[in-house]
Amino acid sequence: MTKGQRRTLEFVLDHLVWFMLIAVLAVFSAFIPNYFQPGIFANIIEQSTVLGVMSIGLAMVIIAGHMDLSVESVAALSAMVTGIFFCSSGIGIDLQLTPSWLAVPVSLSLGLAVGAAVGLVNGFFIVKVKMSAFIVTLASFIWVRGLVVAVSGGRSAQNLADEIRWFAIQRVFGLPVSAYVAILCFVVFSVMMARTRFGRHLTMIGGNEVAAYRAGIKVQKVLIITFMLSGMIAALAGWLLAIRTSGATANLGTGMLFNAFAAVVIGGVSLKGGVGLLPGVYAGVLLLSSINTAITLMRLPPEYTQVIHGLLVLAAVLLDTFKQFVRRRLA
Amino acid sequence: MTGTFRIVTLALASSVAIASAAFAQDTKGTVYYLVPTLLDEFQTGSISALEMFLGQVGYDMETLNADNKADLQQTQMNDVIALSPDAIILAAVDFNALAPAVEAARAAGIPVIQFDRQITSTMSDFTSVAGTIEIGQVAAGEVERLLTERNGAIEGTILQILGDPGDPYTLDIQKGFEEVMAAYPDVEIITQPAMLWEASNAGTIVSDQLLVNPEIDIIFSHAAHLSVAVVAALESAGRAPGDIYVMSSNGAPVGLDLIRQGWMQVEVEQPLYAQAAAVAMFMDRIVAGDDLVPGEYDVIGLNSVLTMEDWGPTIKIPGAAITLENVDNPAFWGNLSPPADPIVSVE
Repeated sequence: MTKGQRRTLEFVLDHLVWFMLIAVLAVFSAFIPNYFQPGIFANIIEQSTVLGVMSIGLAMVIIAGHMDLSVESVAALSAMVTGIFFCSSGIGIDLQLTPSWLAVPVSLSLGLAVGAAVGLVNGFFIVKVKMSAFIVTLASFIWVRGLVVAVSGGRSAQNLADEIRWFAIQRVFGLPVSAYVAILCFVVFSVMMARTRFGRHLTMIGGNEVAAYRAGIKVQKVLIITFMLSGMIAALAGWLLAIRTSGATANLGTGMLFNAFAAVVIGGVSLKGGVGLLPGVYAGVLLLSSINTAITLMRLPPEYTQVIHGLLVLAAVLLDTFKQFVRRRLA
Repeated sequence: MTGTFRIVTLALASSVAIASAAFAQDTKGTVYYLVPTLLDEFQTGSISALEMFLGQVGYDMETLNADNKADLQQTQMNDVIALSPDAIILAAVDFNALAPAVEAARAAGIPVIQFDRQITSTMSDFTSVAGTIEIGQVAAGEVERLLTERNGAIEGTILQILGDPGDPYTLDIQKGFEEVMAAYPDVEIITQPAMLWEASNAGTIVSDQLLVNPEIDIIFSHAAHLSVAVVAALESAGRAPGDIYVMSSNGAPVGLDLIRQGWMQVEVEQPLYAQAAAVAMFMDRIVAGDDLVPGEYDVIGLNSVLTMEDWGPTIKIPGAAITLENVDNPAFWGNLSPPADPIVSVE
């Protein structure tokens, strides 16, 4: 193999998920009536907003060699807190601030504070008490969802303040502002992971925690910050979810954890830690949304949609495994 | 200090003893309510309604949440049977999977009451339902009216958003709805599931369908909380209230609010208060093992019929269509105004 061929192959492998996305979009556009139109592509990006943001935090924790199962429930709690304070119907108390635009930073801050608190609790037990991340965050997944039901009484909040809903209503180049928030998050955190000391340390910890410690990296501090960031990013996803649905229900976000995991894995993040790029994760999220949209447009019987979804995810992961096989052969 | 401690301890002990004695005298017994989930306003509303009405006829109620898991509810049934309560009220996660547990409870001498979700594959001591199939039929009747109003004839396109396709509750509504609509060949029904009853899934379906089927006349969701996301998606797509008719079923408060705002045209009421009141009205006779007399009963103002079915005595409370004209009727549970008059047991 020539140097040029090898470089091309490595480029394809590094960005395989993007090629998969393009291939899937091309196939769906060719064979599914009405799929190929700007509105559908805008929908795919819009639908990727919440899942995409949630996947960022999850991917960072996984790259750091750990796991965070609490992201879905944290998002739900953040959405519910936003709903309770800034919705005017249901259990919303319709908090009025002067000037009214303050509703945006205040609601966002409340949500982020909730996420940071849960992340800190997770980080403390995992890093300081040395408990398993799987168990600690599984517990958080359960108790935080329980908290959502407890604070809401099982009821819902509806009619989110117009100032906050603006992010879903206002469109720029056919996309709601909330979609740009998600894209901006990917850009910021991708740069952070690739270009900052924190990002490099986090990846090194995921690759070999002991070696990172011996190299002088403050492993505990980096990990606790990572869990807090994961919680805050999940809370941001919840805030965007409340915006998208104009409120919050007690079951909001149910099932998103598994989609987030699927997106992260499809995006090329290794569950063993130390490997993964956030742009790939965004491609994974877009791929899942493309598949979901295709299923909706094909009007498949409801009972088969989950089966198809699962099989497509499996196919994507198999392709990723094949990619790693080829990479090993190249090495 | 020691003396004060003794006096406080004695006072506390006396209070507990007096309270326990009063408690023991006031209550006729304990009833367990096995609720399918707490992630739904109808279900959480059913807990407070049953607790209140049963309290009025002298029973304490304990609630167990199954988190929408049939196996967990089976385990809960087995646990509750071991506690020998006076009765079990069951809102089954799965209509068929719980049948053996119902049989086990009845074999142990514990009456089992089906609430809201009807089990027809085995005998129960009482069933209080609006009827999920009937809710679908009421919804179909409203679709006939709305399509005629909108298009001058019963023709057009309906987007039907189910709940989770693994939940028999939504499948029964679909069955009742489509049975009636089958008579109208000019009506196209597009059916999509909102997985796990999650609201944003309903919003996603609407966003996609609006692009490929812009001619949709009515969006019918199987729960009011799904309609909240439906309306949010319509609003995001630049639609105004009334551009596309919206309707849903279960009568939750959020649905009634959407009617008041003009976004939703119809909400099919599940008569939560009356369903719960009927259970309380007959509880004494059920616990005593007395026969229930078929016929018409006034259940907090709703004319309801008790019949003897193959699966036992069943009271059916009529569901109602809620529109802008009657949305403020306090009888609708979504207005969260429980009846002021206490429930009286059937003699």
